Amino acid sequence: MTTTATASAHSTTAALAVQDVTVRFSGLTALDGVSFTVEPGSVHAVIGPNGAGKSTCFNVLSGVYRATSGHVRLGDTELTGLPPHVIADLGVARTFQNLALPPHATVADSLLLGRHRLTRSGFVATGLRLPSAAREERRHRDRVREIAAFIGLDKELERPAGSLPYGQQKLVELGRALCMEPKVLLLDEPIAGMTADERRRTAAVVADVRDSLGISIVLVEHDMGVVMRLADAVTVLDFGRRIAGGTPAEVQNDPAVVQAYLGAPQ
Amino acid sequence: MSDTAEAAPAAPAGPAPGPTRAQGVTERLRRPRTYAVLAGSLLLLALPFYLDRFWLQAGLFAMAAAIGAIGLNMLTGATGQLSMGHAFFLAVGAYGYCVLAGESSTENGHTLTGLGLPTWLAAVLAVLLAGAAGGLFSPIAGRLRGAYLGIATLALIFIGQHVLFNAGSLTGGYNGRAVPPLSLFGFTFDDTELVVAAVPFGSSEKLWYAGLAALLLSALFARGVLRGRPGRAMNAIRDHRIAAGVMGVPVARYRAGVFVLSSMYAGLAGVLLALVFQRTVPEYFGMILSLEYLAMIVIGGLGSVAGAVIGAAFVSLLPQVFTHYSDSLPLVSAPGTGGLAPGEASRYLYGAAVVAVVLFLPGGLARLGLARTKKPKAPKKPGLPKQPAAPMQPAAPKNPGEKS
Repeated sequence: MTTTATASAHSTTAALAVQDVTVRFSGLTALDGVSFTVEPGSVHAVIGPNGAGKSTCFNVLSGVYRATSGHVRLGDTELTGLPPHVIADLGVARTFQNLALPPHATVADSLLLGRHRLTRSGFVATGLRLPSAAREERRHRDRVREIAAFIGLDKELERPAGSLPYGQQKLVELGRALCMEPKVLLLDEPIAGMTADERRRTAAVVADVRDSLGISIVLVEHDMGVVMRLADAVTVLDFGRRIAGGTPAEVQNDPAVVQAYLGAPQ
Repeated sequence: MSDTAEAAPAAPAGPAPGPTRAQGVTERLRRPRTYAVLAGSLLLLALPFYLDRFWLQAGLFAMAAAIGAIGLNMLTGATGQLSMGHAFFLAVGAYGYCVLAGESSTENGHTLTGLGLPTWLAAVLAVLLAGAAGGLFSPIAGRLRGAYLGIATLALIFIGQHVLFNAGSLTGGYNGRAVPPLSLFGFTFDDTELVVAAVPFGSSEKLWYAGLAALLLSALFARGVLRGRPGRAMNAIRDHRIAAGVMGVPVARYRAGVFVLSSMYAGLAGVLLALVFQRTVPEYFGMILSLEYLAMIVIGGLGSVAGAVIGAAFVSLLPQVFTHYSDSLPLVSAPGTGGLAPGEASRYLYGAAVVAVVLFLPGGLARLGLARTKKPKAPKKPGLPKQPAAPMQPAAPKNPGEKS
């Protein structure tokens, strides 16, 4: 793991900057001029009540939605308007709020999908079983085993992902995103639906990813305990607008945030 | 980034491949499956010495169908892209071969064009031609997903039929055109008598081996693709399209690529079919044929090579079995005598088979054998309670923004 930590630490110098992003769906404004910056190697939490625009924000960052206006930049690279696979190629990985794992594929195969952008063999090479394809496959399977060990799934590699408990399936998704060797990791409610034990483990993995791999993390999560413990900075959204931002402690005491979550005092 | 990340694990990686490979061989020798495969291939190799022409033709027919079904299974089964146009690409392969290999001649009042190329070259070019036809359609195939592609490819059938009936100088019109026999390294797969071990070898016997080789190679190629990096990307597109894109899979390019590959498989199947039939007729390459191919992969099992082969054997041999034994089967009468013709009877039967498979055997017939050998152990961790959120069916992120 140490080798990768140094390898990524060099490359993770780019900040993810969201500037004035607005997303409209025929009359409904899902995001309204939202700006924030994710500092390299930090955990940046995006919180807010249901319907605040957190998932829309993720979909813009990963290229699934196109922003109506505004910019997303990773370092000097403009991400706005790029298709998802190009954004992934630039080192942005994400997980989904609802699992997006094929239930019958083994955990190893799911993780190997994460290596897609780092591998090259195409139809001809794999069809003819060229030695280059076999070599590539072997090398990346070894790396997948390392990453599985890092998130504590090395025992489950050969099992179908669908046979694992829900919490572990979410971990597989996290692992698959890590397999992309990303610079920025977008985690959409990574611990929702987990048992207390799984929550603790996953939170530890997330902290570990930041500390030992130096990957910037954008985190959407409803569990405030975990957010306050993990996050270096917090952005609060409500009805598509950014209503507050800062360190966890600042945000917790912000009257606008309290109002968004609990309602205005009568 | 990718270089450094890839280079990093290379050093600790690479456990000496020698012992692991040897272990693989000994383990394989212990499995009963290896012997079943061995016995099966010996049987297939020996069949031309024992079967008559009728059954050899039926077998060849099944091999051609299997090659086509493998192609369709990569597109529909593994990538989730429905295609109704498979018959069109079969026709491109079959007629492409005839035009490229045939000599110019006059037949049934049509002046037929033929390039008179060496037949092996014509066969290769016909496959590439089918791929090129798929490539022409791939801008559409890349953009449309699932059932929408199925509807768009319907157009190919109708265009294909129209062209086949009317481009008389290429296709010979309604009556079709004769297929020049394949000739490879000076060996011609025709009816000139050749006696091997006191068995006279005609075109069917000779083609049998060419068909087996073609099927084996296409199956191995497809298996390599499906188990490797492209296969994982294809399955990701089928299961979670948006997630596939986010994982770095260029979805449209992959859809287009798989479409071309599957057309090439159809083209090869078309060439083999033409060689078996010795005459291509336009009527054959209609919508029914496309539906038959879909039935094959559903009955056999979606997404796997074995499923395609089993399904193809089932669907294409069934009518032959019925025809052969029509007088001894109840309810089935000889063709042309009224009553239930063998072809119809088999269609009812595999219609029923499709329904039965979908209802009771979602993995297809291929799953029957697999279920026994590959049951995943179910180690349940005692401490972890089952989650209530129905984890077995992860909701596909069709509306990724639903929450917000």
